[in-house]
Amino acid sequence: MSAASHPPVSPWRQALAAWRLRHHSKLRTMRLYAFTFSRSLSSMIGLGLVLLFFFLVLAGPWIVPYPEDATGSVNLDIKLQPPSAEHWFGTDEVGNDIYTRVVLGTQVSFQIGLIVVSIAMILGIPLGIIAGLSGGWLREVIMRVTDVFLSVPGLVLSLAIVAVLGPGILNAIFALALVWWPGYVRLIESKALSLKSEPFVDAARAVGAGMPRIIFFHILPNCVSPIVVKGSMDMGLAILAAASLGFIGLGAQPPHPEWGAMISIGRNYLPDFWWYSTFPGIAIYLTVLGFNLLGDGLRDILDPKTRSR
Amino acid sequence: MTIRICHFPRLVTALVFAGLLVGTLVVGSAQAFERAGEKFILVFGGRQPVPLLDPSQKYDWSTRMMQQAMYDALVKYENDPPVIKPWLAESWDVSDDAKVWTFHLAKNAKFHNGDPVNAEAVRFSFERTLKINKGPAWMLSDFLKPEGVKVVDEHTVRFELSEPFAPFLSFLPWWYVMNPAQVMAHQEGDDMGQKWMTDNEAGSGPFKIKRWEQGVLYELEAVPDYWKGWPQKKPLAGVIYKLIREAASQKAALQKGEADIVEGLSPEDFDIVAKLPGIKVENHAGMTTFGIKFNVSQPPMDDINLRKAVAHAFDYEAFLKIYNGNAKLQTSPFPFATQGHIDVPNFPRRDMAKAKAYLAKSKYPNGGIELEYVYVQGLEEERKMGLVLIDNLKPLNIGIKMVPLTWPNMKARGSKMETSPNMLAIFATPVATDPDAVAFQYHKDSWGKYYGTHYYSNEEVWGLIEKARKSSSWDERAPIYAEIQKKITDDQPEIFGMLANRRWAMRDYVKGFKFSPVRFTGEVDLYSLEIGK
Amino acid sequence: MALFVIKRVALLGLMLIGLILIMFTISHVAPGDPAGVAAGPDATAEMIEVIRKEYGLDKPLPMQFWIYLGDVFQGDLGRSIRTTHDVTDDLLRYFPATFELVGVAMLIAIFFGVPLGMLAAVFRDKGADHAIRFVSVSSVALPMFWLGLLLQLFVSLKLGWLPLGGQIGLMTERPEPITHLLLVDSLLRGQFETFREAFAHVILPAIALSAPALAAIIRVNRAEMIEVLHQDFIVTARAHGISSFRIVAIYALRNAMIPTLAMIGLRFGWMLGGTVLVEGVFDWPGVGLYAVQSAVNSDFQPVMGATLLIGFSFMLANFAIDIAYGWLDPRLREAG
Repeated sequence: MSAASHPPVSPWRQALAAWRLRHHSKLRTMRLYAFTFSRSLSSMIGLGLVLLFFFLVLAGPWIVPYPEDATGSVNLDIKLQPPSAEHWFGTDEVGNDIYTRVVLGTQVSFQIGLIVVSIAMILGIPLGIIAGLSGGWLREVIMRVTDVFLSVPGLVLSLAIVAVLGPGILNAIFALALVWWPGYVRLIESKALSLKSEPFVDAARAVGAGMPRIIFFHILPNCVSPIVVKGSMDMGLAILAAASLGFIGLGAQPPHPEWGAMISIGRNYLPDFWWYSTFPGIAIYLTVLGFNLLGDGLRDILDPKTRSR
Repeated sequence: MTIRICHFPRLVTALVFAGLLVGTLVVGSAQAFERAGEKFILVFGGRQPVPLLDPSQKYDWSTRMMQQAMYDALVKYENDPPVIKPWLAESWDVSDDAKVWTFHLAKNAKFHNGDPVNAEAVRFSFERTLKINKGPAWMLSDFLKPEGVKVVDEHTVRFELSEPFAPFLSFLPWWYVMNPAQVMAHQEGDDMGQKWMTDNEAGSGPFKIKRWEQGVLYELEAVPDYWKGWPQKKPLAGVIYKLIREAASQKAALQKGEADIVEGLSPEDFDIVAKLPGIKVENHAGMTTFGIKFNVSQPPMDDINLRKAVAHAFDYEAFLKIYNGNAKLQTSPFPFATQGHIDVPNFPRRDMAKAKAYLAKSKYPNGGIELEYVYVQGLEEERKMGLVLIDNLKPLNIGIKMVPLTWPNMKARGSKMETSPNMLAIFATPVATDPDAVAFQYHKDSWGKYYGTHYYSNEEVWGLIEKARKSSSWDERAPIYAEIQKKITDDQPEIFGMLANRRWAMRDYVKGFKFSPVRFTGEVDLYSLEIGK
Repeated sequence: MALFVIKRVALLGLMLIGLILIMFTISHVAPGDPAGVAAGPDATAEMIEVIRKEYGLDKPLPMQFWIYLGDVFQGDLGRSIRTTHDVTDDLLRYFPATFELVGVAMLIAIFFGVPLGMLAAVFRDKGADHAIRFVSVSSVALPMFWLGLLLQLFVSLKLGWLPLGGQIGLMTERPEPITHLLLVDSLLRGQFETFREAFAHVILPAIALSAPALAAIIRVNRAEMIEVLHQDFIVTARAHGISSFRIVAIYALRNAMIPTLAMIGLRFGWMLGGTVLVEGVFDWPGVGLYAVQSAVNSDFQPVMGATLLIGFSFMLANFAIDIAYGWLDPRLREAG
């Protein structure tokens, strides 16, 4: 795969070659990562599941047989039909295709997961850096507030918040984001604290690097690995938490096809119409499993110190 | 790691063994359970708790089922169609202007602690409910002041209303009589015994409390020498109201005989259990109407043509399909069992041509609007109706935004004209068979209540309602109510929906089940039940 | 040591106030009208006003918070507006059931988690390790409530082995309370049939609740065990010909117990949180079900009370572990 050996060399290939040369060691590390990762079966399963579900998120509306069933349509004549060739996962209580709704439910779940984790990062990472680098009373305040939030199981606190705000997808996202950020503060704070006294940070400070430079060139890059690992795990957990709120009846609302809500409604039709809550449950399980395995695999290569913890 | 592993099977064996031990300890414990002595205890598996037993403070179906079992009122609703039967009152007289009502009490009635039920107890109970001003107080508070209740003698009590009120009697079955001595003995501060009455009773009814385990079960014990006697040969020893919150658990309990009656199953489940051996399903037309109230005070629903367009686009047949045929479409704003109900001519049904014609006449000839549909979080059937609405209004290019709210939030939204949603799904059970109980929902004084979220405004109809409730002659009232039904239909303040059947699944040995549509959904009169094995 | 404990207690108090403040802030931006609900479906405006006054909802917010804070520290968590019950009474009634459920779930997690973690460590990177890893990752990924439904479906409905829900059979009299824990009381009173019945009821919900903790305990044990197995004294022990079963079961296990205990403290709080999902599925009359039922009905005082109780239990558990650690490891006292 050596591009430089071919006679007609286009300018961008030259650039590419130069880039490769410059980043030689990084590329080697990446290749090593990829190799280690691909050797682990569970990591590959995780990656496969996550990619599969991402594919469903993007392609969902085009591959499902009855896309209108996810936006509020009613076919009462075929309600609660068992799985068949036309309806792979059967139909629900108003005759909608459960396969369609489960596939399109990936969009809802991933949307919630991504937004919750992003908000948590946007809030948590800066606060963590501030707390870790500043020390003193500012750190004390930030960390104590973080502790208070972490002292209540997230699901209970978000339940209380949604109970007050009223059910709905936006409120659920808000509530989950509000209980999710403290985890990032803790993670980044301890990382920043340990990095602060590293020789290379001291050195940077000695040659006159300003605070922003230290943060962006020395602290943040070294926080990327744990953030990526936690982010991947949290995607799964946030999806699970959102489904839990949906199950309680306080999450996404109809006609949104949300997995937790589907299980909750389907539960009323157990055991005779078992397919109703079974398939959304499998979808949640596989998604969360995928993100967990992926996170595990990423941790193994990015953060070998904590391996197998 | 190259440890020799030959001993590890031991660990695994230990695990498996422990698992088996646990298994043998518990498996087979799911047995049918005993009844008490010679007599039987009936087990009712219901979803809704009874957090507040005090008849002056609260009523809903499960609460009232318990209240009716433990308390008596002056009169009682029984049968289908409902009739008002003498109970604590053996007879009564009413003045011609429907303002003064005199009741003659049964002389042998006594409370569970042996005290007699006398005129003073009746007076005290009405005064207590009116003063606490919760629960059923609203039914009479406009007409009856505490001073208006007079003890004539030991067994005669007189009500002097501040205004004529013909339907007075029809509300009395929900005004239970409590023992003043017991209530006031447990007064805390000036709460008139409210705290104590939450989990205790001071009644004279056919049952009394045996166990009251909040959130788990409520056990009632029959009063063997109930003053009114028992209608059946072998009365029950008692009733357990067991909270079973999941449909699957309810069904399983019924099948195993752990529960004798269950309520609140899905339409599908009722059909399934009806086919099982040993189980029967009581299926009766109720009085609870389901309607989708428009807020007619605000655009866009202030446009009558839009309202009519929506009402004619709605697929009423969907109700029947959702309930698998166990429902009846409304033919009037009034339920069938309400006195004076008529079939209103040209009552709206699905007709897309008409719907489009009405839409063309409205301010939104091409649709292009989104309407908010608010319903009670967790109410399955209301959620399905919303999905039906989305489907039905697509051809008119009208969108629907489904907003589930908890009951309190929903009431809060509906309580103000400005915030009341475009459409609000409401199940409403009139508390009396008298037509006033329904007609008054369309009166201005009902604005802001959950059944008055339409903010319906028609001076002429209001005048008719007021006129009808003041007259004591039915012949005079009947034509007025016919007129009211037609006029309300014409103004289309809501999509007049359906009356779903009330259903209970029970073991076939449960006898003496008496249905009365004026009771709430799920509510059963426990008094007449027996187990005939 | 005394100073360390005092500091921790002060911190605990501060955190509790912080938690109360959070809960209060959350509950008072509510759009609903709690007084309206309490008044009942047909209440008039003045009836609602009566109730608003009764519950102090007409006072300014800081005042309401001050009153609430004072009340909480006196053990008064307000009244449920839906049922008029004292929240404290309700919580005291429901907490033993939750505590029992969490306790059994924890025992299950430890009982299976510790040996499985050890097995995984010993068979590191072999088939058994992968299988156990799969189990542990799966038990995190399985939605607890769905696992509960599956257990009901198969174990109760299909096989008929265990009851579907509830804490005890209908006709069974509860034993005279001693500890208010049904399992303990029935044993203490010698009512073995009641105990058996209660035990049968607790198994399925406890399994569903234990799943995530099981995963955590497996992981921690595996990691610790791998580390411990590499330590000098184990290597020495093996060199002395002590059988590997004994090495692992006795020496290594003992060393791996401390981090496991820490994990249990942490998981205790999470499990309390999980009860809001599991108790509803199994009709378990505990705090979680109470919180959900109240939340769905916008009855804030009970939701706040339940959250405070769960949060406080969690804080206490961590507090106890902090103290225990401080006692075990003097260096922490300096840092803390």
